[in-house]
Amino acid sequence: MVTLTINGKEIQVPKGTTILDAAAELGITIPTLCWLKKVSTTGACRICIVDIAGVDRPMTACNTPVKEGISVTTSTPKLEETRKKTLELMLVNHPLDCPVCDAGGECKLQDTCYSLKVDKNSYGADLERLPIRYDWKLLESDPNRCILCEKCVKVCREIVGREAIEVVDRGDNTIIDTMTREPLDCDFCGNCIGACPTGTLISKPFKFKGRPWTFDVTPSVCAFCSTGCQIDYHAKDGRVERVTSSDDGFNRGNLCVNGRFGYAAFNSPARITEPLIKDGSNLKGASWDRALKTVAEGFKDAAADSDGNAVAGIGSPRVTNEESYLFQKFLRGALGSNNIDSEARLGYLPSQVIQWEMLGYSGGTFSMDAIEKATAIIVIGADLKAESAGFAYRVIQVATKNNAKLVVAGSRPSSMNKFANAFLQCRPGSEAWLVAGLNKAVLAEGLASAGNLTELEGLKSSLDLLSFERITEISGITEIQLREAAALICSGGRTAVIYGAGVIRAADSRNAVAGTIDLALLTGAVADTGAGIYPLDEKNNTQGMLDMGICPEYLPGYRTYEHAAAAFSSAWNRAVPVVQGKDLFQIIDAIEAGQIKALYVMGSDPLHYMPNRTRIMKALQKLELLVVQDLFLTDTAKLAHVVLPAASGAEKSGSFTSADNRIQCFTAAVKPAGDARSDADILTALYSLVTTGSAPVQVSLDVLHHEITTLSGLYSEVCDHEGCRMGRSKNRTATSVCLPLAPLVPTPAPTNHAFALTIGSILHHNGSMTTMSENNMLVAGEAYVELSCDDAASMGVVSGDVLTVTSDTGSVLLKARLSEQLQPGALFVPAHFREAAATTLTDSASFPQYVSLSKG
Amino acid sequence: MAQVVFSTWGGDTVDNRNISGEPQAVSYRLPVVFDSKRPLRAFMGWDGIILFDKDVDVPAMTAEYMKRVQTLFCCGKCTPGKKGTKVLMDLFQNVLAGKASEADLDTVEDLAELLKNCKCTLCQSATVPVFDAVKNYREDFLAYLNPVCRPRVTPGRYIHKITAPCMDKCPAHIDIPKYIEAIKNYQMDMALATIRENMPLPAVCGRVCPHPCETACRRKNVDDAINIMVLKRTASDYERLHNILPPLTPKARKEKSVGIVGAGPAGLAAAYYLALEGYPCTIYEALPEGYGGGMVAVGIPAYRMPRTILQRDIDIIQSVGVEIVYNCRVGTDITLPELRKKHAAVFIAPGAHTSKPMGVDGEDKGYKGFLTGGINFLRDAYLGKPTGMGKKVVVVGGGNTAIDCVRVALREGAEMSCLVYRRSRKEMPADVWEVDGADEEGVKFEFQVLPTKIIVNDKNEVTGVECVRMALGEPDASGRRRPEPMPGSEFVIECDTVIPAIGQDMDLSFIPADLGIDITKWNTVVTKYLPLKDAAGKDLKDSMGNPLSRTLMTNCDGVFAGGDAEIGPLTVVACVGNAHRAASVIQRWIEEGDAYLSEQDIFDDVLTYLGVYDKNEKVPWLDSAERANQKEVHGSARAAKGNYREVELGFSDSTAQAEADRCLRCYRMAMVVV
Repeated sequence: MVTLTINGKEIQVPKGTTILDAAAELGITIPTLCWLKKVSTTGACRICIVDIAGVDRPMTACNTPVKEGISVTTSTPKLEETRKKTLELMLVNHPLDCPVCDAGGECKLQDTCYSLKVDKNSYGADLERLPIRYDWKLLESDPNRCILCEKCVKVCREIVGREAIEVVDRGDNTIIDTMTREPLDCDFCGNCIGACPTGTLISKPFKFKGRPWTFDVTPSVCAFCSTGCQIDYHAKDGRVERVTSSDDGFNRGNLCVNGRFGYAAFNSPARITEPLIKDGSNLKGASWDRALKTVAEGFKDAAADSDGNAVAGIGSPRVTNEESYLFQKFLRGALGSNNIDSEARLGYLPSQVIQWEMLGYSGGTFSMDAIEKATAIIVIGADLKAESAGFAYRVIQVATKNNAKLVVAGSRPSSMNKFANAFLQCRPGSEAWLVAGLNKAVLAEGLASAGNLTELEGLKSSLDLLSFERITEISGITEIQLREAAALICSGGRTAVIYGAGVIRAADSRNAVAGTIDLALLTGAVADTGAGIYPLDEKNNTQGMLDMGICPEYLPGYRTYEHAAAAFSSAWNRAVPVVQGKDLFQIIDAIEAGQIKALYVMGSDPLHYMPNRTRIMKALQKLELLVVQDLFLTDTAKLAHVVLPAASGAEKSGSFTSADNRIQCFTAAVKPAGDARSDADILTALYSLVTTGSAPVQVSLDVLHHEITTLSGLYSEVCDHEGCRMGRSKNRTATSVCLPLAPLVPTPAPTNHAFALTIGSILHHNGSMTTMSENNMLVAGEAYVELSCDDAASMGVVSGDVLTVTSDTGSVLLKARLSEQLQPGALFVPAHFREAAATTLTDSASFPQYVSLSKG
Repeated sequence: MAQVVFSTWGGDTVDNRNISGEPQAVSYRLPVVFDSKRPLRAFMGWDGIILFDKDVDVPAMTAEYMKRVQTLFCCGKCTPGKKGTKVLMDLFQNVLAGKASEADLDTVEDLAELLKNCKCTLCQSATVPVFDAVKNYREDFLAYLNPVCRPRVTPGRYIHKITAPCMDKCPAHIDIPKYIEAIKNYQMDMALATIRENMPLPAVCGRVCPHPCETACRRKNVDDAINIMVLKRTASDYERLHNILPPLTPKARKEKSVGIVGAGPAGLAAAYYLALEGYPCTIYEALPEGYGGGMVAVGIPAYRMPRTILQRDIDIIQSVGVEIVYNCRVGTDITLPELRKKHAAVFIAPGAHTSKPMGVDGEDKGYKGFLTGGINFLRDAYLGKPTGMGKKVVVVGGGNTAIDCVRVALREGAEMSCLVYRRSRKEMPADVWEVDGADEEGVKFEFQVLPTKIIVNDKNEVTGVECVRMALGEPDASGRRRPEPMPGSEFVIECDTVIPAIGQDMDLSFIPADLGIDITKWNTVVTKYLPLKDAAGKDLKDSMGNPLSRTLMTNCDGVFAGGDAEIGPLTVVACVGNAHRAASVIQRWIEEGDAYLSEQDIFDDVLTYLGVYDKNEKVPWLDSAERANQKEVHGSARAAKGNYREVELGFSDSTAQAEADRCLRCYRMAMVVV
């Protein structure tokens, strides 16, 4: 500890603390403009100067560490005069367009000038105006307003890891621009806008939408990816016009393109604003009473005729925990059916069942900030920015600032490669082999954690059956690479394991997932001293949806029918069936077999994401009653008999559970669009109509939380903090069971198709929701097929050519995009775009799928 | 003798304007003629102005200086710098245009005061000569403001140079503040790209450089120098540890090629810069493949410079279009005249690979156990050949090679490794940290001891070395006190091996006499130079006694020389700097048929001669961030037999970032009027 005095007050702070932070601890505010807590110091504005006795010049408080015994003075007439003059210099030729400047009212420069009483300028220079960048997408840059604080540049580099903008040129012409001076081409996360203290970098969609002080600001939780960022919705006249995030929150103000700009989907003119009922071949507007009655009666009849067997429901990873709970309560309690599942069946759910068996919990071990304490990280089969950007930001922090080693493994390179000490690129489909190889290498190098692992011998003997030669032959990764990677991921003793779609939807996903969890056990990642394991899912509440029992296997809280059905039955006063229901694939089979006649789809578009689109289309068309509850007329909704307009994440209250098991509550920022209603309201109404035939009794969230807590035993009842977005906790009993690998069988080489196709996420979208956001569409507007430059060269394909992609199940046309990073023989198609109908090509949920490629 | 008309340089005002008596005599370490053609009329820089010519238009010079600072070098990254120099630039331009007022001139002092709060020294130091000019030539400025008879701007020829004390002191003139700032900003790639602009062996110079830059680090005036060398290593390690291949794109391949003798630092550097310009380069190296790097490879042991890491730097150099022909000794396997025929230019950089004799009784008798020299011993050990070393080793000498020998002897299995030096420990030319390293590993030292005789048994095997103790006498030419033998103090150190490591020499026997290439009495190659002289008519020399500004072309057209064989045995970084210049001159020779130095080359030399670092400068700054030093492996086991693992461990990235944050970024601009 270092002792010093500031303005005569003594304080002790740790060595290395800056004078600015030490002063803050004493409650002394030193004015700053360029200082931003979450990035490295800059010392550009020179406003935070202080005097230190014995030092013959003022020092900047923001980047000067304290020293034992120093005496600091933060304000003297001379310091104040220097600050004022410095601000006067800053204002030389600063535009006087505050009336139309987007930052007007929330401008740090205005505030500082005001507080330092800068009302004249002693300096002047010839006026030269720099061109305003109107040609950037989503962002606009007016360099004339820039004070060169570099916050944007540092956030882009140090937080987002993109380095899209830089300080360029010299002297008074120095501006923030792209290195090449070409229009911005980046993540479009807009974190630079968030960091800009002036109106230099502004959001184009927000421009002229209103003065900042005229908006109602509602703290909320982002409804896109599984990071669960804390955001503020800025709403006016019933519309969200801007999303910001405070640096004081969990995500330190850092968002992604979806979080910052995806709100435009909520305002989309394509929103359904009234219930629709099929009339002949058309969907026509109807009253809520009629729509709800139609749905309630339809399902009630179908259920009654079949003991619940003829009805099924597909839930949503988008809706709140409470809504998921109500959804399964409607299916199980009101309709007496356990035929309930979701898109998590395609990967996340099966993977979490394995994780549950091995570790005793699903989702992340710790809240994701534990990653920042890791000494080594391995990211397997994940594109962090595309799947859950918050993880990417954490990994970048720890790898670049905390000296952690980073290993990236998988068939496709990602934006994390730039920070990686090693990239293990396996052949598509060999993920299970890659993971087995890593486990084998950790054991061979004698690096396995000495923790209390059950079934370790079984794992060892299953790995003994595999030789490194064989692993190399199948995966393309050498023994040396594996051993070096093993050393890296065990270095420092505090490992984090992050895995995503590449593992979860791998060809041999069971071995890939089990092997990944084994690796977390061997490296000690899941021990108390580790940095945790983190499965990723692209959507905001997949974890919460599963916690709430949206699956046929478990009741809410992963309670089994055998043990808990009676409790649920008695609490609901309805008979909950004790037999396990049908899963997503079985539901389709049963529809085809005519066993399931009525399907309730909430916030989900199975026709878009299910493998073999042609088959699913036929099945859905066979239903006697298809009800879709959504924001948009999705592909599935177009086939529905009744469409119920639902509310967006900004339009309702409740809680989401992030991939790392943080349960965050929020309240509605705006009313639902048009006549839309929240999923909770719709489900409550339907439950009443089916069970009592009467009008719904509105239940408060508190009452609902109490019911969920009592029955699931998983979530604590109240938030630990008043009105906050954090704090509801989740129970768990951790175990450490290694799972021996089942015999690995290489994917047979296809004879008729030369390319291995993966369909997955890209960073500019989240699910299909953001394809309804004009903002996201501006930066990533259409699907494409990505192929390696080598393949493109040998086929004579150039970027933009239209290619036909053909599989055994169908074919689609897509524009070509070339990638220097994709390996030859591999293809990638983004999953988000409905029009592309990419699932026409797939016949299962795993990747790769084998396809042929031809021009034209 | 050129007379100083006016000067404020160094804070002392010399005013010989309008004097009646004898002008005040004052001289500066500057040439009277800038480039041997154009007289140096005025000098303007961080420490003031110097006028040698009374007709220099001071307001115009001042305006030009401020314009160049603002538009060419001001980084814009702090408010006073960015805006203050803009205000000043416009002010002086308005003065010249007669649009300013007298009150505007008073702003200069105000701004000079305000710019003391700049983030770095560039803009801040620029206000010093500008304010001096306004203060002392106020009438000249006011003349421009006179609407009646405004003078016409006298055109001047201005040449500027950006520098910093560290950058100037570095013989390779690496832009040190720039790469350090990049590390501070988490841009290791940018840092390394900056380093490579002047140093193609970053992994090497990040490890074994004696870092003269750090002796000229202004942070020393606050507390301790920035750890510039290890920061360089960090950037290089980062690239290697992240498997990054540097994005180097050589220009379109040209037809004319360059032949290079020796794959040492000089040969590699010249090849690298020529290859980036598109010239195919072939290096002829006497040693076998896998042993490129010259003295860095065979003269610096692997525990200081790991082989694979050196090879990586060489591989990267080769990746831009450099061919290395190994096992090819010029003079034996191919002749110099043959190279001249084959290539448009030849660069001779054979290094200094032979040992100097130590002058002791019996050294020429071929005794078993008396080795031929330190350099040969290190080379044999490195190549894995038998060294002829026994179990008890005495190394004679006080330089880095002697230290390398005693430390390698331990790793080659010596039971006793002893260094004998005729002066005291603190006078050893070896780097302090190297001596400390040997000490830690268990090397014995005998200081102030002179070997006089090799003692052998009847089989002519060395059994000891007879020494005499030395006392310090009067200082010699080098300023060190001359050691003199103390009669009667003779004693014998028992040993079976004696290694002389007195100094290195060049083997230039491959240069045929008839090519007209001259050799100095110190056995270095003579190259052409600019006849720069100071005011007293004395030739300007560099620190090695060579002419200050050399084109590096020998007296034989198209044959250039560099590295140790041209400078005299020195350092890797000196060889790289020298070879980089040779590469530029070779390119001019090939393209323009003229081997000349650019204004920037000459200015580099002029500034080095003048000196940019001032150890007496008071640098007000809070000394609250201590210098970081790299960790190293400790304990004698690090020097166990066969253990050549690297001893120094470098920085973690976060340590490097924090160390980089200590840099004061001491840029400044010099400008001359010619």
